[in-house]
Amino acid sequence: MKRNLLTIIVGAVLVVIFALLLFVFQVRQSEVVVLTTFGKPGANPIAEPGAYFKWPWPIQQVNRFDKRIQNFEDKFSQSLTADQQNLLTCVYVGWRISDAGAFLRSFRGSVPAAQNQLEGMLRSAKNAVVSKHPLSDFVNADPRQLKFDAIQIEIEQTMQSQLSTNAYGMKLEFLGFKKIGLPENVTQTVFDRMKAERQVLISAAENDGKAQAQIIESAADRQAASTVANAEAEAIRIQAQGQAEAARTTLPIFQQNPELANFLLRLDALKQALNQKSTLIFDERTPPFDLFQHLPTNSPSQ
Amino acid sequence: MTMSDEPEHHPHAHGHDAPETQDAGSQALAEALRSSFAIVKVVMVLLVLAFFSSGFFTVGPSEKAVILRFGRLMGQGQEALLGSGWHWSFPYPIDEVVKIPITEIQQVKSTTGWYFTTPEQELSGEELTAGPSLNPAVDGYALSADTNIVHVQVTLYYRIEDPLRAIFSFTSDTNFGYSLAGVSNAVQNVLDNALLYSAAHFYVDDILTRDKAGFQDAVRSHVDDLIEAENLGVTIDNCEVISVPPRQLQSVFAQVTTARENRNKALLDAHKYESQVLSEAGARAAAITNQAEIARNRYVTVLSADAKKFSDLLPQYQSNPDLFVQVQLAQTMAQTLTNVEKWVEPTSDNGKSTEVRLMLNREWPEQKTTAQSP
Repeated sequence: MKRNLLTIIVGAVLVVIFALLLFVFQVRQSEVVVLTTFGKPGANPIAEPGAYFKWPWPIQQVNRFDKRIQNFEDKFSQSLTADQQNLLTCVYVGWRISDAGAFLRSFRGSVPAAQNQLEGMLRSAKNAVVSKHPLSDFVNADPRQLKFDAIQIEIEQTMQSQLSTNAYGMKLEFLGFKKIGLPENVTQTVFDRMKAERQVLISAAENDGKAQAQIIESAADRQAASTVANAEAEAIRIQAQGQAEAARTTLPIFQQNPELANFLLRLDALKQALNQKSTLIFDERTPPFDLFQHLPTNSPSQ
Repeated sequence: MTMSDEPEHHPHAHGHDAPETQDAGSQALAEALRSSFAIVKVVMVLLVLAFFSSGFFTVGPSEKAVILRFGRLMGQGQEALLGSGWHWSFPYPIDEVVKIPITEIQQVKSTTGWYFTTPEQELSGEELTAGPSLNPAVDGYALSADTNIVHVQVTLYYRIEDPLRAIFSFTSDTNFGYSLAGVSNAVQNVLDNALLYSAAHFYVDDILTRDKAGFQDAVRSHVDDLIEAENLGVTIDNCEVISVPPRQLQSVFAQVTTARENRNKALLDAHKYESQVLSEAGARAAAITNQAEIARNRYVTVLSADAKKFSDLLPQYQSNPDLFVQVQLAQTMAQTLTNVEKWVEPTSDNGKSTEVRLMLNREWPEQKTTAQSP
């Protein structure tokens, strides 16, 4: 009897487990579930995680969706800018299922189908937005003229409004450029232009170097000349000052007897003048050579 | 299987109680059944044990784990994260353990902006010769503010700051799995976008040479902004930028660098010349003024010495001016005429002065020619 009871309990547990597997399903933290009864979707998708009851297949069916953000990027495709340039762009989007019911209706719950739809929508949104902007809105050193962010926002808004009008049950979380490029043949012309720009820079650098160097050197010369000239002027001033000073102190002394003063100064001048090797030519009558004249000889000059 | 085992038990038990009318064959069969049933029981006990012990799991040092009970996250916020060590959960399908590798630094490289290379080329470092143009399908590049083509590669190192956000907000694949692939894909996109965005702001020369650091900062700060805006729950650890000119224009870019270096060298030389000239001029100016000072001092000194001499001689002069003059003159003559070449010219008979013609050497100072004594 005891044995039978154990057997019954074990059996009951197994039956309960089996029933749970059939009648209960889980919704995980990252998921949203739409229950369909004979293929008809229920009123509200279940987004709150936990365990839920359902009738077993084929009465009710669990349609499980990932409600997290999905990364998607479209193909690198060409659009024409406002100034008639071909621009290749590729954008990435983060999208998620915002309304699982609508998503199930629109795409039969297929994520690849939804991404196909996104691809097409992105292409037309990009074409529409890019055609409104010249290339200088995409690349510009002036932050006020650069509309990189604005363009991304425009594309995102276009997408968002289309997604909501079509009730796809999808929502964009973010959007941005992933690649920007030019058609292959255009890259070649860009290279040519870049080369020309480089050449301008090369000659500019060379000429600028020469000119700057010349300016610096001539300025230095000028400054040096003026320094020396100033010093010379200063020297003259110093000497004049010295002369004035000397005159002030010595002139009253010399004035006691100008004749003697004059004589002494001339004597000094004579000494200084004859300091170096010099030849003097004298008249015979000049003292002390006049002494020769009175010699009692028969000098040839007489 | 367990269900089918149980009913089998009863007929077997009845068979055991029945009188021993069976033959040896059926007895052996019953024996075999009994022993195999014992084995099944042991296996069942083991299975039950295994079922419950499967609830134990370890979390490694660089991991976090969360438990989903019936799909619902156990715990709130940071409490939901289980650190390293042993943990226990109910076995599947009640609980589900999700492990998240978090502490190691994640690395992501920009996929846009660089020309096409195969992994083998990257390893060997050799490069394919570039064609005349860039194929948009394979060659990446960024457009600078002056619409130049430039190759840029950014390597971003980051950490997962919010593991719950990383696994519960970003899909990693289409199988409802939990991993960091989704968030790293989002970081990758953000990085590519920041690269293009920053390049669009900078002149090609700034990206390549003039302001490399500024460009790197711009990329980093824009990645930061986007991470915040898109709420990716990661933090940047480091960000490295490499930038090169297109291979097609490498030589002409190198020439610009050389020309700029030459210009800088010319400027440097000019500045060297400048400082040399100025210091020389300064020295000369100092010499000139010093000389002037010396001359002034000498002049003043000499003159005051003269004045002194004058004062000393004045009484003597005043006592007999003529004699004084004669004596002084004679003394001076004696002193000076010793080291002078002398030439005495005789007077002509008629008393007229004679004409003397001299060939003068240029070397000689001019005033020394015919100084007549006073």
